[in-house]
Amino acid sequence: MRPAPAAALLFGLAAAALLARHTVSVAALAALLLLVCLRAPVSRRWPYLVGAVGSAAALFVLTPFVERLPGTVYWSGPSIPVVGTLDVTSTELSGALFNACRLAAVSLAFAVYALWLDHDRLVQAAGFARRSVLAVALATRLVPALERDASGLVEALRGRGVEPEGLRGRARLLSPLLAGSLERSLNLAEAMEARGFGRPGATRLPQPRWGAREQVALAGAVLAVVVGALWL
Amino acid sequence: MALARTEGLSYAYPGSAVPALRDVSVDLAPGQVTLVLGRSGSGKSTLLRAFAGLVPHFHGGRFSGRVEVAGLDTRRHHPARLAGTVATLFQDPEDQVVFTRVLNEVAFGLENVGTPPRQIEGRALEALRSVGAEHLAGRLVTELSGGELQRVCLAATLALEPQLLLLDEPTSQLDPEAAKALIELALQLARDRGTSVVLSEQRPVLPFEICDRVLFLEDGRLAFDGLVGRARTWLEQHHPLFVSDGGWAGVHRPTHGQVTCRLDGVSFAYEDNLLVLDSASIELRRGEIVALVGPNGSGKTTLAKLAAGLLEPLSGRVERRGRPTYLSQDPGRYVLRERALDEVAVGVDGDLAAASRALAAVGLIGCEDRHPRDLSSGERERLALAAVLAPDPDLLVLDEPTRGVDPERKLELAALLRANTTRATLVVTHDVLFAKTVADRIVSLAPDRELANV
Repeated sequence: MRPAPAAALLFGLAAAALLARHTVSVAALAALLLLVCLRAPVSRRWPYLVGAVGSAAALFVLTPFVERLPGTVYWSGPSIPVVGTLDVTSTELSGALFNACRLAAVSLAFAVYALWLDHDRLVQAAGFARRSVLAVALATRLVPALERDASGLVEALRGRGVEPEGLRGRARLLSPLLAGSLERSLNLAEAMEARGFGRPGATRLPQPRWGAREQVALAGAVLAVVVGALWL
Repeated sequence: MALARTEGLSYAYPGSAVPALRDVSVDLAPGQVTLVLGRSGSGKSTLLRAFAGLVPHFHGGRFSGRVEVAGLDTRRHHPARLAGTVATLFQDPEDQVVFTRVLNEVAFGLENVGTPPRQIEGRALEALRSVGAEHLAGRLVTELSGGELQRVCLAATLALEPQLLLLDEPTSQLDPEAAKALIELALQLARDRGTSVVLSEQRPVLPFEICDRVLFLEDGRLAFDGLVGRARTWLEQHHPLFVSDGGWAGVHRPTHGQVTCRLDGVSFAYEDNLLVLDSASIELRRGEIVALVGPNGSGKTTLAKLAAGLLEPLSGRVERRGRPTYLSQDPGRYVLRERALDEVAVGVDGDLAAASRALAAVGLIGCEDRHPRDLSSGERERLALAAVLAPDPDLLVLDEPTRGVDPERKLELAALLRANTTRATLVVTHDVLFAKTVADRIVSLAPDRELANV
């Protein structure tokens, strides 16, 4: 399928997850997107899955402690200034689960976009705002590039007999990783300028017309938003 | 009439007190192939960037003099405006790739310069065909080998049919065969079209046979400018290593001591389950220097990582005695700390005295307090070397330590390695001349994964 309607479909599913009001509906959408992610090769999918599932899990764990909603109290803890008494109630738990599923669904929609869509063709499909779309496509490639850089830094450390251990050891790699990605982006910007990027009068490689699958995907995107808003 | 010229060009990068180019005046004729030589940091890449307009437009800095390409003054015309007239192939192909698919990557420049849409695909495919890479058109760039990717990048520059083609050390990541093929191809295509080619190289033996003219830069100054015949004589007098077969790196008497590392029938495969190494065996003894050579993709780096303990074999046995260290191909991976001294001390539990000795051994005295990222590319390479020398390893594994290194620095490195007679050293390299200069024994890893003594 061509990337523009596929991106629209993913956007529709993410919007449906944000508009839906029932936890089961949102969880079903997240599960569907998770299944699509799991079809990608392990080496490519894991950073996205760790990011999506990890952030959703963190939201689920933290939300009951910062919200104060009535319901059956499962646990009651100490009183903390500003936050008040820490407790976990049934309403807070169900709300946390709902929001965690929402976050997971939106993150997984992005993961499917990053893992499965042909970003080149998405850039070429952009009739307007080509620069912005190119920036998004390049940013999408940042995750695997950072992963490669991080592996390289760890390998160079291990090559000196040093094993980066624990969260602190890994966290020390963040600053050089960030600096490295800035250096890389400068090199890329230089190469792009040398190849005429930004020059007025640019043209585009012609793209084939949309077929039935693309039209169905676009209709599916609209349908997902409507169904999400009205019935889910 | 000259296609491109510099007149009294001087340039210093922002924040640098030392000019990268000093009063350089050069004329480039159409159809001429010009080889630019010089030590690391002598200004070769900066000169090429000046012809592309990237200096000063992209980098900023202090610029004086004049650069003209096809009648366009580069100070008044931005690099994007010069694109098409000028095309540049940079050293590291991974840093210049914008798109994920090969055809789109080659088409990118054509789109930018406003090629009529109906012609774009045809010209991109034609450029890929001319470099023997038409079959790669639909592939992902991430799936390509280093040689394939460099050919795709060459196709992207040739597709523009430039009048001036700038090749900045385009073969530094390629084995000798692939490097020869790439240079011959680029120059043949350029000659067929009457393109002026400027090629900077650290392995000048091949380009010498096919270039017309040689420029030699020394500390940013043009020390020599002449035809290739005269250049050979001048280099023999002033910089003989640029035209010799490696040079003498000192006496090294291998002691053939105890075995430090033994790989016995080792096989290895990455995630795709394709065997990279199949039943490879090698012994490294204390006191000897072994060079491992072979074409791109033959498994040299994998074998080196197995020897250093960075990978575990799929089958077979690896025995090691003592501490190994491994120098990565990319010196940009040795930038974890804020000071060069602290960076080197990472591998020795913060022992600053040992780190200081290692920095001195590689000639980086005075750089202790500088940030690793502020060092020049040559200095970064030496810093990385110091980082793996500091622990005084029993087995030193160096992966392509001469990438982008000039012949004089290579000889210094060979002398440094040969001065030690107590550790086992494994040098993975494409550079056969360096292998002959430094090693007691050369082992070749052929495409069929067989190891053989050379």
